[in-house]
Amino acid sequence: MYNFLQRLSGVTSFAMSTLMALVVVISLTTPFIPSSPTFDVSLHNVQTTTGRAMDPFDRTSRKAEYARLTFDLDADLSTMFNWNTKLLFAYMTVDYTSVGFDTNRAVIWDRIIRNKRQAKLKLRKHHNKYALRNFGLTFDDVDGANLTLHINPVPYLGVMYDKPLVSIPFTIPRSSKAASSPGQV
Amino acid sequence: MDFIKSAKKFGVRALLLQGLTFLSVLTSAFMIWKGLSLFTNSESPVVVVLSGSMEPAYYRGDILFLNNGYSPIEIGEVVVFKVKDKPIPIVHRVLKVHTERDTGAQYLLTKGDNNPVDDRGLYNSGQLWIQRDEIIGRVKGFVPYAGMGTIWMNDYPQLKLGLLGTLCVLSLFSND
Repeated sequence: MYNFLQRLSGVTSFAMSTLMALVVVISLTTPFIPSSPTFDVSLHNVQTTTGRAMDPFDRTSRKAEYARLTFDLDADLSTMFNWNTKLLFAYMTVDYTSVGFDTNRAVIWDRIIRNKRQAKLKLRKHHNKYALRNFGLTFDDVDGANLTLHINPVPYLGVMYDKPLVSIPFTIPRSSKAASSPGQV
Repeated sequence: MDFIKSAKKFGVRALLLQGLTFLSVLTSAFMIWKGLSLFTNSESPVVVVLSGSMEPAYYRGDILFLNNGYSPIEIGEVVVFKVKDKPIPIVHRVLKVHTERDTGAQYLLTKGDNNPVDDRGLYNSGQLWIQRDEIIGRVKGFVPYAGMGTIWMNDYPQLKLGLLGTLCVLSLFSND
């Protein structure tokens, strides 16, 4: 009646369709699993200096103005780990508007969090991991800026989504001579 | 010989019908691919990760589902881009975004999670930013390891020939 190959093909095709249905259900439900992360960001100080960073692929890097942030971060993201979380990609961005540019956003710090033990963050007087500079050479046309903590959960399987947790406004000091200016937190 | 024998047994009409079914399967697969491509505004809406530069988020052989859309790129998104005049598409995360007010043009800088530095060394020499039209798609979903077959076939081309040969032999001997 049925030979071995036909039976094999029937079983595999049924297994494949069940697996596909399971994949769809898992990827659709994962973003709705509730979590209650706690977080607190505070900015100590923003300094600007000119021409310190050296990027071998960017010829203007010697002349550009760089902002250096000093911040504290306390966060407990361990509740964001569920059965379909491979890792959390935590990152902080600075965004501002400038003349001619609607949005300027730059990542200044990031961390890959792979388990619950690493999910308790406690950073004290931490600086940018990545150099922060404007598209032009200086921050002269920049008024206010925002420092935002984002979390991007990477699932074992399924859809990607981004969670902005907290955003605090601050100003970047205008003159590059200014030694320091406390952020308006 | 087998082929001619079966042609005599089933008649030319049945053989032609089989050929037609085969062709319609091929064309519908092609149509679904192109339709998906049109729908997602992406030249290849499904890609396989070929390098380890996004580990531990994405490993070699993971399948990524892309949607390009028409909206501007956001920061922190994982995008697939192909720099002009370079053949290989790269999956990396967006590190910087500058959007011009008048033209809406975007200047993007990317970085792989597993790389210590940003991608300026991977761009064309002297190129500081990539533009919106160099982005093939943004990663919306992914399935791990499902593309391992593609990786193996890329690494061992004789596997591809062997698989094709087996399929041909099987299709000659099956009688349905």
